[in-house]
Amino acid sequence: MNTALGAAGLAAFLALGEAVPRLGIVKERYFPPTSRIARALGDQITDGAFWTDLGDTLTGWALGLMIAVGAGIVVGVVLSVVPYLREATASTIEFLRPIPSVALIPLAVLLYGTELRSVLLLVVYASFWQVLIQVMYGVRDVDPVAEETARSYGLGTWARIRHVLWPTALPYVMTGVRLAAAVALILTVTAELVIGAPGLGARIAVAQTSQAVPEMYALIVVTGLLGLIVNVGARTVERYALAWHQSVRGEVAV
Amino acid sequence: MRRLLAGIATGALMVAATACGSSGGGGASGKNASSGGTTTVKLGVIPIVDVAPVYLGQEKGFYAKHGLKLSMTTAQGGAAIVPGVVSGQFQFGFSNMTSLMIAQSNGVPVKAIANGVASTGVAGADFGAITVKKGSAIRTAKDLEGRKVAVNTLKNINETAVRESVRKAGGDPSKVTFVELAFDQMPAALDSGQIDAAMVVEPALATVRSQGATEIASSLVDVAKDLTVAMYFTSNQYAQQHPAVVKDFQEATAESLAYADAHPDEVRQIVTTYTKIPAAVLAKVTLPKWPAEPNKASIETLEKLGEQDGLFKTAPDLGKLLP
Repeated sequence: MNTALGAAGLAAFLALGEAVPRLGIVKERYFPPTSRIARALGDQITDGAFWTDLGDTLTGWALGLMIAVGAGIVVGVVLSVVPYLREATASTIEFLRPIPSVALIPLAVLLYGTELRSVLLLVVYASFWQVLIQVMYGVRDVDPVAEETARSYGLGTWARIRHVLWPTALPYVMTGVRLAAAVALILTVTAELVIGAPGLGARIAVAQTSQAVPEMYALIVVTGLLGLIVNVGARTVERYALAWHQSVRGEVAV
Repeated sequence: MRRLLAGIATGALMVAATACGSSGGGGASGKNASSGGTTTVKLGVIPIVDVAPVYLGQEKGFYAKHGLKLSMTTAQGGAAIVPGVVSGQFQFGFSNMTSLMIAQSNGVPVKAIANGVASTGVAGADFGAITVKKGSAIRTAKDLEGRKVAVNTLKNINETAVRESVRKAGGDPSKVTFVELAFDQMPAALDSGQIDAAMVVEPALATVRSQGATEIASSLVDVAKDLTVAMYFTSNQYAQQHPAVVKDFQEATAESLAYADAHPDEVRQIVTTYTKIPAAVLAKVTLPKWPAEPNKASIETLEKLGEQDGLFKTAPDLGKLLP
């Protein structure tokens, strides 16, 4: 039922995209109808360079996300477990967190030029906070009774992290990962678009400066589809990782 | 499940570690890879028609003849190229003259070494022009007083050029409102009436023309006949440390420019390899001129106009900047 509704919604959207330029509400030259975009998309798919660029984008996204998630989890747990450290870093984190990643573009160019590392710098910076903050919230959610019980049973720090802290924090971590996955994709494409590092973003920029309007929209559609896949993938991972958790079990039962 | 997550975490850390490891190596080898007498240099360019000669020269073997292999890096505008060259990410870059003069006057150590691109010098048939919508009441550059004119970058070469056109037409450039808009967005903005005029260059100019727009002034020609619009440059440090490579690059580029100037059909062909300009548009694009040597007098004029319009904090030292 949901799938059918979703498909109908999409079909209506595509039809609207076809009709609006055809009726002359917006100019075809700047907003080509769906069929023109679809044809341009077909041309892209048969172009070998497109797949290389797609690969570059996915590499930037995956590497950046993995680094951000790994670092976010480790730093988040360490900061939460050591109260002094948390107090000492709280103000720094609150200062750094709102800095938009794109503001670091000049720094990235200065350090790494237009290479993959420039993209990674922006992607990791943006997605790291998503994970870190969620981990810290998750740790704060640990039931003090459970924590005290674990202590009185003589569990060491590592055992308490594994058996008490981690299961409590995991749903939060998964939310963080899901958010980070989307943010990482956005930043990968943005970095490529603005800096010119190889990938779909750079391809969009070239199409844009070349006045190749349908190609540009076709590539934008590709990034949209990627975002959709990333989101569905992240939800699947979340569901799988939290299969034991009441939030997911409850969802399944209904 | 726990094992899975532990795996993911370990994997992420390993990737982080290898990413850092390989980055160090990549940086070292990427700087100046020398193999069998061929030096690979990175050249930061913008994916536009203007840089066609270096692509053509690479294909024709002009650079190989001088022991150079160009690794073209396309960046989106000078914002990435100038810092990239100064920090040594690229050995050479492409930038317009006003940007280079602004950089130099701000103490950024750049040195122009080879000519880049020049205007055709023919009013009404240049690769850049002030355009107005079909049927607009604006007839001359003087009419731009009190109007909204789009330039790709404020306080840069195109603003200087538009101001000069207005001045030459007997108007007061201080009465013109400038707005910043990317070239590729100008056709749509002009069409919808968000701007009254646009200082647009190819290939967007071909698009604007196909909409029936009128060209009211060839601003680059108004600045100076045969204006040197952009040049290839390097950092002072690289120029001092690798004078031989710079000399090779200069000679190979001069050959490439001359070849491109004489073979417009090959230029149009090579442009399709690094841009997505549709064939129909490309056929209508006005190609710029590629003289082998920069026109110093025109650069001096550009500098004076820039100074008059307050673009520079201190006057740029052209003696140090130019080859």
